[in-house]
Amino acid sequence: MAALDELDEIDPGTTARTDPKITVKGLERHFETPDGLLQALGPMDLEVRDGEFLCIVGPSGCGKSTFLRIAAGLLDPTGGEMAVNRQGTGPLSAMVFQDYSIFPWKTVEQNVRFGLEVGAGAPADAEERVGYWLDRLGLAAFRRSYPSELSGGMRQRVSIARALVVEPEILLMDEPFAALDAQLRMLMQDELLALWQEHRRTVVFITHNLDEAVLLGDRVIVMSKRPGHIVGEFEVPFTRPRTADLRGSGEFAALEQEIWANLRSEAYGAADAVTPAAPTVPTRRGLFRRAR
Amino acid sequence: MTTTNDRPLAPPAPAGSRIVFAPKVSLADRYRRNARGRRIDNALRFGVPIGLLVIWQLAAMLDLFDRRFFPSPGDVVESLGTAIGTGVLQEAALVSTYRLVVGFVVGALVGLLMGFVLGRVRRLNVALDPIISALYTVPKLAMLPILLLIFGLSDLPILILIAASVFFIVVISTTAAVTAVQKNYLEPAQCFGATGLQTLRHVVLPASLPSVFVSLRLAAGNAVLVLIGIEFVQGGAGMGYLIWNSWQLFDVGRMYVGVVLVAVFGVLFQTLITGLGRLATPWTRRGGSASSH
Ligand SMILES: Nc1ncnc2c1ncn2[C@@H]1O[C@H](COP(=O)(O)OP(=O)(O)O)[C@@H](O)[C@H]1O
Ligand SMILES: [Mg+2]
Repeated sequence: MAALDELDEIDPGTTARTDPKITVKGLERHFETPDGLLQALGPMDLEVRDGEFLCIVGPSGCGKSTFLRIAAGLLDPTGGEMAVNRQGTGPLSAMVFQDYSIFPWKTVEQNVRFGLEVGAGAPADAEERVGYWLDRLGLAAFRRSYPSELSGGMRQRVSIARALVVEPEILLMDEPFAALDAQLRMLMQDELLALWQEHRRTVVFITHNLDEAVLLGDRVIVMSKRPGHIVGEFEVPFTRPRTADLRGSGEFAALEQEIWANLRSEAYGAADAVTPAAPTVPTRRGLFRRAR
Repeated sequence: MTTTNDRPLAPPAPAGSRIVFAPKVSLADRYRRNARGRRIDNALRFGVPIGLLVIWQLAAMLDLFDRRFFPSPGDVVESLGTAIGTGVLQEAALVSTYRLVVGFVVGALVGLLMGFVLGRVRRLNVALDPIISALYTVPKLAMLPILLLIFGLSDLPILILIAASVFFIVVISTTAAVTAVQKNYLEPAQCFGATGLQTLRHVVLPASLPSVFVSLRLAAGNAVLVLIGIEFVQGGAGMGYLIWNSWQLFDVGRMYVGVVLVAVFGVLFQTLITGLGRLATPWTRRGGSASSH
């Protein structure tokens, strides 16, 4: 309870502004598949506060990446809408992809500079910014290396640096640490925590790891199985700046447990059996489709 | 099957026995063995062709073949000297090189340009793909009479045919390489607001370069084939003409000189392009296999 009491006194600086950064209303996305029209997402309703670190958890294939792709402008919704409140004149969003998606043909430095070279064109302080983020993420010694020469953790840092260097209003992260081993993952979480507390901006962070969600997030959203919609919402009461020590506290474990209970009953179904949603309306018959 | 330097596993040990896994050879021995393996590889690489030449020479000296049809390597070298001495060889080589380089460069440039456009503009590809497939299958030599009719007896028809043979290979491979560029490389470009040209420069071009260079190499080899074919029937100059003309004069040695030089030239041309490809794709050289953690 100590943490909750402190919350009243020390405003974490994220809940004060009332205008939501992102407003999602009845958002849906369908995909055409050989078996028919598949609803991957929604209807989803959500508000993301300005400067908030929002974590989204949910079962595999529930539409989390789809949601993020819509937010990044890579995918149009097929229903509902998402409105983003733009404040600056710089890039609106940048994404850290699930599989890193850094370019094998660019060196570390060139990868990080990429976001500054395309689009609006390089700002005057481009070199400084690239240098800063290479330093900040411990990549300076590898600036001339190609990704194939780096470890998984290093590649992930390149991906994060590439997104942060453009100073986006919204940072979108799709399971950024999923491919890392448990120890490296904890180290990266600690680093991201420190990084975000230093450079606050709106973050939408997708993860499978509840521990990660509670440590990093101001709020954790639980999504149902496909088509994903929101079935749970948890404010994370711990004050900022947080440190990794939080992991050991009782409140931390309790909240994690609470989210897990919600996820298990709402998203995976109480009976543990995950029945895939049946596809509707077949659009066409595949020539070589096997009869089932 | 695995290829290791180690002996196969021993048969299953009886129950209760202790199985020990320990080095069977010392590290120094293992290193020496690997070095020896590389020496053997090199000996084979160079030794086999040289050995074959030696056998050929010996067989010719023992009159195992009819030397009128199968001159010895020594005879061929002698003919080479004569052909260089009279200057016919240099002239033929110069003409053929010129035709090859001009035809190749033009065909490759147009093929690359069009391949990138077709790969990026799906509708255009849908519209032009059947035509390209159809024209690709037309034997280039069959077009020679038509081109001669149109352009007359100049170098132009030859250059056009070389360029065409290169163009089709390059355009088809480049289009395929560009359409195969993975979504996970295109999405970051889109995400950071890259324009079409920026996406091309930063993503599509480098992503497709390795396969583009493979196609350039194949096209180079193929261009040599087409060129020699054309020079057999038309041209009055060039390496193909030299070979054909030697046959008519029954100068067998010079015939072999021509064939061998064309082969050597083909190898050099392809090596040059492979080398350029390695320069243009430095990320495929260093590091190599990616370690995950
Ligand atoms: N381009 C696509 N075409 C067809 N189906 C897709 C496409 N992208 C995603 N899907 C489907 O939509 C569902 C949600 O995908 P995704 O958003 O990637 O899930 P998550 O990230 O939560 O694991 C999945 O069932 C997936 O197969
Ligand atoms: Mg996903």
